[in-house]
Amino acid sequence: MSVLVEMLALPGRSFLNFLSYLGQLGRLVADLAHSIFRGRLRILQMAEQIVGIGYGSQAVVVVTGAFTGAVFTAQSYFKFKDFGIETTIGGIVSVSLCRELAPVLAGLMVTGRVGAAMAAEIGTMKVNEEIDALRVMGVHPVDYLVQPRFFAMMISMPLLIAESIVFGLAASALVSSLAFHIPFTWFWTHVVDHTNHTDLIFGMTKGFFFGILIVLISCHQGLTAANGAVGVGLGTTRAVVFSSLALLVVNFFLTMLLNYFFPLGTAL
Amino acid sequence: MPGTDSSVPFIRVTGLKKSFGAQKTLQGVDLDICHGETLVLIGPSGEGKSVLLKHIIGLLHPDEGRVELDGVNLCSMTERQLLIARQRMGYLFQNAALFGSLTVAENVAFPLKEAGLRDQKQIADRVHEALDLVELSAHKDKMPVNLSGGMRKRAGIARAIVTRPECILYDEPTAGLDPVVTDVIDHMIQRMQKRFRVTSVVITHDMSSVFRIADRVVMLKNGVVSFNGTPGELRASPEPEIQNFIAGRSGLIA
Repeated sequence: MSVLVEMLALPGRSFLNFLSYLGQLGRLVADLAHSIFRGRLRILQMAEQIVGIGYGSQAVVVVTGAFTGAVFTAQSYFKFKDFGIETTIGGIVSVSLCRELAPVLAGLMVTGRVGAAMAAEIGTMKVNEEIDALRVMGVHPVDYLVQPRFFAMMISMPLLIAESIVFGLAASALVSSLAFHIPFTWFWTHVVDHTNHTDLIFGMTKGFFFGILIVLISCHQGLTAANGAVGVGLGTTRAVVFSSLALLVVNFFLTMLLNYFFPLGTAL
Repeated sequence: MPGTDSSVPFIRVTGLKKSFGAQKTLQGVDLDICHGETLVLIGPSGEGKSVLLKHIIGLLHPDEGRVELDGVNLCSMTERQLLIARQRMGYLFQNAALFGSLTVAENVAFPLKEAGLRDQKQIADRVHEALDLVELSAHKDKMPVNLSGGMRKRAGIARAIVTRPECILYDEPTAGLDPVVTDVIDHMIQRMQKRFRVTSVVITHDMSSVFRIADRVVMLKNGVVSFNGTPGELRASPEPEIQNFIAGRSGLIA
């Protein structure tokens, strides 16, 4: 009987935990809004975070973009050549990179690099009582820790996505011309014919929202870390897993929503 | 002007109760702390001395009871209101809680910069003065990870006093320090009281420090105040429990 009750209670408890988690995230958003609109902007810390998050993540997103572009080019070529339309690869690769591949894959990579670092750094500060030290010195942890990271991610992520797209296209051009002997002119003509600047805006807009998602989830995990090193490890793992899952789910809804504003194949 | 009316206690703790799960840490603590006095909190480990200190500065929220600062209830304040109230206080954490990413001097300068001080020379002078008081000037450019436990604690003290707060709460300021540095810290606490009329609340297990610095001693036992009096009254107390605590006797036979 008790096992049956436990089995029935489990989904309910999980749902309540999920609601509680959403409530905590909502509270963090409210604190952040207060910090942004009624507190002072911390430009210096924001600049430091842009260097750490944006500048420091370039290698990761460049490699991700380049090899995604390269492998997508190769796979497309293997199938497209059966139909004799391999010269159109540039079009499909650029649109896919702009709208889905670069934002999602670079977003996931940044989640792993930046989200984990945020959760670990803030979590370590939490268990070492450094967060409480901020509070006793009259500094709200959200003002000092979350606000600069929030702005840094909002600024960095769209640019990182754009960089990822550029290197993805460059790699695609290289692979198609060097490995598959498709003249660059044909490749580029199809890129220009099928890609609009709205596709780039589409990807960068996704990056903007992914940045917000990653920073909120990761900072929340850091700020709520407990139980020493184990708690920091758990918080870091959760930050990456929750951010990655949320990114994939939100990506679908963003695709549906943004396609309404920037339909495929149209310019502004 | 707040902070000058000696008829109103600076800090008043009333019926404070706090539990962590099944563990009832504070079970109704009543305590008044006057302006300019040095109150020492003693008692066995795990009896809630640090928990009480964290309630006084509003880091913890009580289950029942209230903490008043100059007659204003801290327990009904929001976190952002508490941030302003806390600017009147300094706090030394048991583990010092220095920022690992900043040097000692940057750690000590942090509260000054956050309080809005922009003059770099003034900041440097104040940091130097605070570090001098705890004899740590020679190590100002070191990172906290390269300091010994005692040095970290002294850096934490410098950070707590640098803003010249009205009240400083010390959680075991001399634990892990050698006797000479302990004496330096004790003198510093006394000097702060005499020169700036700073109110100090000190948790310590060092009985020589207790008799050196305390105006009043409060003992916490089983979540309530079990003794509240002067060091002389503590020494003269007939309670065997208190005498055993002062002498450091466990009652065990080898």
